[in-house]
Amino acid sequence: MNVIIGLINGMISSATPILLAALGGSLTFYAGIFNIAMEGMMLSGAFFAVLGSYYFHSWPLGILFAILGALLMALIFILFAVVLKMDEFITGIGLNLFALGLTTYLLEEIFNVRGMFTSPQIVPVPSIDFPLIENIPVIGEILSGQNLIVYLAFLATILVHYLDFKTRFGLRLRAAGYNRTSLDTSGISANRVRIWSLILCAVLCGLAGAFLSLGVITGFTKGMSAGKGWISLAAVILVSGNPTGIALISLLFGFTDGLGLFMQQSLPSQFTSMVPYLATLVALFIYSFRLKKKQMV
Amino acid sequence: MRRKILVNVIGVLLAFLLGALVMLFQGYNPLETYFRLFQYSLSPGKITYTLSNSVPLVLTGLSASVAFASGAINLGQPGQLLIGALFATVGGLYLNLPQVLMIPTLLILAMVGGALWSGIAAVLKYWFNMSEFITTLMLNMIADYFTYWAITYPFFEKNANHPQTPLINQSGWIPEWGNFNTNILVMILAFVVIWFIVNRATAGYEWRISGQNSLFSRLGGVNISKNYLAVMLLTGALAGLAGGMVVMAGPHRFIKDIGANYAWDGVMIAMVANTDIVLTLVYGIFFGILQTGAVGMELITAVPKELIQVLQAVIVLIVVSGRVYFESLFASFEARRRMRERVA
Repeated sequence: MNVIIGLINGMISSATPILLAALGGSLTFYAGIFNIAMEGMMLSGAFFAVLGSYYFHSWPLGILFAILGALLMALIFILFAVVLKMDEFITGIGLNLFALGLTTYLLEEIFNVRGMFTSPQIVPVPSIDFPLIENIPVIGEILSGQNLIVYLAFLATILVHYLDFKTRFGLRLRAAGYNRTSLDTSGISANRVRIWSLILCAVLCGLAGAFLSLGVITGFTKGMSAGKGWISLAAVILVSGNPTGIALISLLFGFTDGLGLFMQQSLPSQFTSMVPYLATLVALFIYSFRLKKKQMV
Repeated sequence: MRRKILVNVIGVLLAFLLGALVMLFQGYNPLETYFRLFQYSLSPGKITYTLSNSVPLVLTGLSASVAFASGAINLGQPGQLLIGALFATVGGLYLNLPQVLMIPTLLILAMVGGALWSGIAAVLKYWFNMSEFITTLMLNMIADYFTYWAITYPFFEKNANHPQTPLINQSGWIPEWGNFNTNILVMILAFVVIWFIVNRATAGYEWRISGQNSLFSRLGGVNISKNYLAVMLLTGALAGLAGGMVVMAGPHRFIKDIGANYAWDGVMIAMVANTDIVLTLVYGIFFGILQTGAVGMELITAVPKELIQVLQAVIVLIVVSGRVYFESLFASFEARRRMRERVA
């Protein structure tokens, strides 16, 4: 029983950053932006979360800094890709490497360390216990006692779903991606909608970053986003941006990650660490296989 | 041509200006910092060392340039480099041939390793239409863990306190003539071959046309999927070669994190060079100068060498966005000048 609870909790905590970033990616996907900068936004968020939490000894400020750090990346993306009309792909790659360079540089410049920074002065984001639920056997151990950001991610899934499909903004968002000229001619600037989608994406990626550096682990490691932004991009593509689908697929990726940890008893850790990336390949494989079948019918 | 040079120079200068502002903000002296940087990497005693350092950058840059120009979004250079390095290392550990045979054998092994890794992505695209853009990225992470495993268990050097392989046989070391590391010759050879294929051979013409307009090239009788496979294998081989060179000219063994950031730098070089082969060489060497100089800069001025990584990304963003902007600006100048000539 404990093994299963451990697996489920591992699944939830591995899924959280992927889910948050992918929800951000969902917004930009609907707005028709080829946004591959989630990796950089997440990394920048993770670094600034540590910075904020360390200097102000407070996790809310850590989260705020994380969001600001990710927003900084979003603003650069907006400047180059939306205002200067540079290729979104090149902007995204450049930005991800900029984020990697900037965080390593600041790590050395501010904390005088190379590669890794951790300190007891960093206040992590707390876990939340729900008084009644926590006493229920099994379910209580899963529903209660998770990190605050896990619950935020759950809320964000519902909010993004609502935003995409039930609000005027969501309609405009999808119109910007579907046919931006028609949106422009109806008197709404498609660029403004795109900019808002990027800003919201940055907020979500900032939360994802804060979860990485103030959630499971307290501290920052060079390049700690480790491809999670790319996995979340794959999740967005697999379900064509649908938030509910993203939640399910993130849980699936999270499950494989947890499974990898579980398999560590029998396999070298390097192989178990590969599991989420292999799972992404398998998921993409099934996706294209089904697409091919559909086209043949 | 002159315009193209001007656009690049202005972009780089703007990026340096931004870097200087950052340094001023943090209380460093930007002029001295830049001076120390170039002084270190361009001094007569160091220049061949700098060139030798830019070899992996140029090779991965060529790989990315050829791939992007041909419409193959191969972002797998980091993984291909690592697998290439691993193949060269394993070959170097178990083979012992005379130097004349050993070095080409190891270089070919490195290229085979890189091509094998990019070949996986190519096959996934060819048979199952899976976008190479994400598969190559995932394969990067897998290659990273796989090589980490390889140097921790099967090829681990006993008594070493961190994961690394033993030294490869000495006949596989790239020879150094005094200060001159002959890996520079391999780079020049690779550059000439790639330049020739892309600019003078039919295959290169077909690749570039497919990259610019795949429908047009298909109607013209180009076999798109065959060319795609060829491009993926060639660019993988180039990245693998870069990995082999890193091992054979550098520490002569596979150390953890040996790939550094070479491959991603190569991707940036291809983007800033707009996939032009000659510009790729120029920017590859330029980034090599920056990275080598960064060490000297850090020694003397206490500015962390990581600043260069930021500067490189800024150069890419500014030069690429500036290219479109400046070119339209020049075009309008030109038009105005012609109009005045007509009137006069």
